[in-house]
Amino acid sequence: MAAPRTRRQKEIRRHLWIYGALTPYVVIAVFPIYWMAITAFKQDPDLYRMDQFPLWFHLAPTWKHFRYLFTDTNYGAWIINTMTIAAWVAVITLLAAVPAGYALARLRIPGSENLGIAVFMTYLVPAIILFLPLSRVVSMLGLQDSWWALVLVYPTVTIPFCTWLLMGFFKTVPMEMEEAARVDGCGYFGALVRVVLPVSLPGVLTSVIFAFTLSMQDFLYGLAFVAPGDQKPVTVGVPTELIRGDVFFWGSLMAAALMVGLPVALLYNFFLDRFIQGINRRRHQVGLGGAVRAPSEKTIRDRASAPDPAGRDSRYGA
Amino acid sequence: MTVRSSSGGPDAASARAAVVSVGARVGPRAWWRRQSSQRLAFGYLLLAPAVLYVLLLVGAPFLFSLWLALSDANVGEPVASFVGLENFGAALESDVFYTALTNSIVFTVVAAIFKGLLGTTLAFLLLQPFKGKKIVRGLVVIPFTLPISISVLSWKWMYDSQFSVINWFLSRIGLIGSYGSADWPVWLGQPHLAFAACIIVNVWRNFPFSAIVLLAGFTSVPTEVIDAAKVDGTTFMQRFRYVVVPMIAPILLIGFLFDTVFTLSDLSIVYLLTQGGPANATKILPVLAYQVGIQSGALGRGAAISLFLFPLLLPLMILLLRNIKRREY
Repeated sequence: MAAPRTRRQKEIRRHLWIYGALTPYVVIAVFPIYWMAITAFKQDPDLYRMDQFPLWFHLAPTWKHFRYLFTDTNYGAWIINTMTIAAWVAVITLLAAVPAGYALARLRIPGSENLGIAVFMTYLVPAIILFLPLSRVVSMLGLQDSWWALVLVYPTVTIPFCTWLLMGFFKTVPMEMEEAARVDGCGYFGALVRVVLPVSLPGVLTSVIFAFTLSMQDFLYGLAFVAPGDQKPVTVGVPTELIRGDVFFWGSLMAAALMVGLPVALLYNFFLDRFIQGINRRRHQVGLGGAVRAPSEKTIRDRASAPDPAGRDSRYGA
Repeated sequence: MTVRSSSGGPDAASARAAVVSVGARVGPRAWWRRQSSQRLAFGYLLLAPAVLYVLLLVGAPFLFSLWLALSDANVGEPVASFVGLENFGAALESDVFYTALTNSIVFTVVAAIFKGLLGTTLAFLLLQPFKGKKIVRGLVVIPFTLPISISVLSWKWMYDSQFSVINWFLSRIGLIGSYGSADWPVWLGQPHLAFAACIIVNVWRNFPFSAIVLLAGFTSVPTEVIDAAKVDGTTFMQRFRYVVVPMIAPILLIGFLFDTVFTLSDLSIVYLLTQGGPANATKILPVLAYQVGIQSGALGRGAAISLFLFPLLLPLMILLLRNIKRREY
């Protein structure tokens, strides 16, 4: 009778310790977003005071800053630009990365491992080295000062990453399924479209999400290639157009930031594990899990015997 | 259709033959009819779009930036002429360049230390089983998931010279005086503070990434191995140093590399907070390259400056490549 209670008390005490230790991390991580949100809804007189507790409202919350964004600025246009850019980038990325990922994972092309690594390495070539030559390319194509420049440039980031990600997904599809399809009269293409793609749908979906979110993380390309106020993506328009000289309208700035940041953070959060897997290149598990799963007995054994960041599946390797 | 189904999709006999011996099967057929060459042709066809895109828009621009760095290219003039190493020489002779180089390196190293510390401790905490882990994890990774230019704005407001919420706290707990007093920190206006402020934002944004990468590494270490080490009478630090770290080294390296590339080449934090000021105190190479290359239009000069990042990144990339290669065999 007494034993379970003490165990329970122990458990509670352990939880309290952990929560206590985690609190500073959570506060540090979340505070800037909280500050963003409270600023966005505060009235201006409430905003610029130092004599009151700043983390809560002292005047009624207001939608004024949000309304201002849509009536007096290009905010609406920036949102539409960003969504259109992201959609195009997603389409281009899928058209290039799905076939490439499949070919590298499955078709036993000589040197495919090296090619895969080479593609991934291009993801690591930073934008700061490429943006000056690309500005020449963009102006040669007549795309400067329009968001089409970004549609052209963002896939240089998303294609390598998504190819790498999809390679992992395609490797999890059992070879037998594909062979069965081919025996049944599908060509390679038929097997890809009818069997491998439907099974790898989570991977394809993940790639779309990353094409979206990775193009939202850019600042440099948008800053360097697109000057007209109504052509900018929202991540560039907000920090460059809403700040005029030395006058900061923090209410509307934070409102603008909040409306972009929250949806992206939620979306990204949902798919973060896939992103980390893409980087770690461990064996991918099919299905959209939430947290980092504790590996099963078998995966532990596999990983211990063959820690393989290149992700080559020994059964199907070249 | 018939060609594909008779050769691309093997009938039962050829499938069996392919299993038994590929050589005997493909010998008498013309090479373009062979299953393997069809597979290869199809493979290269599938690879072509991605490879072409990357070659044209990453490979070619990279080579082009080498040419730009050796030329007197300007935004206004379409024709550029070869000037040799003049741009590199000009960079090496200017004081701003050395400031930017030193700042870049100090920034990256200091930020990496803090990200490592915060990331490791957080990963250990998240490794413990407890209720609500998913929620905590979701909250903690928010900095990493927010678009960077958006979150920097929030920090800029927190660093405001007069209405800084950080200063409000510091002043309330008595660490600093009230606004206008001598010890009131102007975060983005004082050289050392501005540099620290930029590092803080970088650490804030990327420590969740370190934690998640480390967590993925820790969970991949089999508990049997840890238990075996415990039985051998090792201390916690010994197990960490000699068992866990070597086992998760590949992940550690990849995460570290990602983070370093991002930190070294990121311009948005410094550009949006201080533009490199006050008095070049926060000038880092990416900001300098942008200001020279785009704002003052000297493409050649800018390209030369940004290429100085490459020797900093190259050793890391080679290290990573060797690591991946070694693991393959």
